[in-house]
Amino acid sequence: MNKEEFLTNMQDVLQTEEDLNYETVLEDLDEWDSLSVMATMAFLEKNFNIKTTMKDYKEMKTIGDIAKKAGL
Amino acid sequence: MIQFTKEQRFIVTGASSGIGEAVALRLNELGASVIAIARNEERLLGMKTKSKHPENIYIEIKDLAENIEQLPSYVKELKDKYGKFQGLANCAGVGRILPLKSIDFTEMQKLFNINYFSPVFMTKGFTDKRNNNGKGSSVVCIASSGGVHCDPGMTEYAGSKGALIATMQAIARELAPSYIRVNCVSPSLISTNMADEISRSFAEGKYPMGIGKPQYVANTVVFLLSKQAEWITAQNYIIDCGAI
Repeated sequence: MNKEEFLTNMQDVLQTEEDLNYETVLEDLDEWDSLSVMATMAFLEKNFNIKTTMKDYKEMKTIGDIAKKAGL
Repeated sequence: MIQFTKEQRFIVTGASSGIGEAVALRLNELGASVIAIARNEERLLGMKTKSKHPENIYIEIKDLAENIEQLPSYVKELKDKYGKFQGLANCAGVGRILPLKSIDFTEMQKLFNINYFSPVFMTKGFTDKRNNNGKGSSVVCIASSGGVHCDPGMTEYAGSKGALIATMQAIARELAPSYIRVNCVSPSLISTNMADEISRSFAEGKYPMGIGKPQYVANTVVFLLSKQAEWITAQNYIIDCGAI
């Protein structure tokens, strides 16, 4: 998955109509709630085999931070 | 009085016969546009000729038991074609009465595909907020009174419908903060092609008001899809003239 595909996939994970970029602030998205965090956890595990915890998400501020966690 | 506009689009699965047909016709009669999905084009066209406003009925031929994983993308394709949806009525389903000793895993999986997995993944597609009208959008699934109180021989059927009722309740609670409502309607024996001779023989003498008609169920479905039901979610309505 390249950086572009990651953004498209995140749009589906969050089911958002917003155009996402690496600077998008998670807190600014209406969709960013606890269920979306769980959806993101499942997405990272399924596609990158990376396990994250709720604690990780407290430190993440932007979409770029999630991408970094995925190793992109 | 329930009224819809033609800008309010509803997806109805299993729309070529039985309860699905009755739901499609009733929604259309009340002014809504209907995207009618079924496998059989001829029967869908037959339904369309019975409708009051055939210009607001859009036919889609599709086997919803195939490529279930892709159903959310299919709903998106429909949205791109028609516009966002107001509601989804999951009416497609199959019935089967078979004793436990005769059930077969592969056949049971096929039944779960159409009765359980398909409506769940259609609902996943519909409730994606990019595909619906937001607040007030609504889903209704046709489950069965057998999902709550079952008779012998319903191992497969009751299992699929009971699972559907429980899952839709979970989905309803997840989506309530977005004001998207999800309910089930659970009829008992209804006079359709699906109700074969065996089911009828089981029903003998059980229904004080006689065997049900698809319209009885359709009226409840349409109510739940309408604004009149705006505070109702996570419910399962049993329609069985008190037979249980």
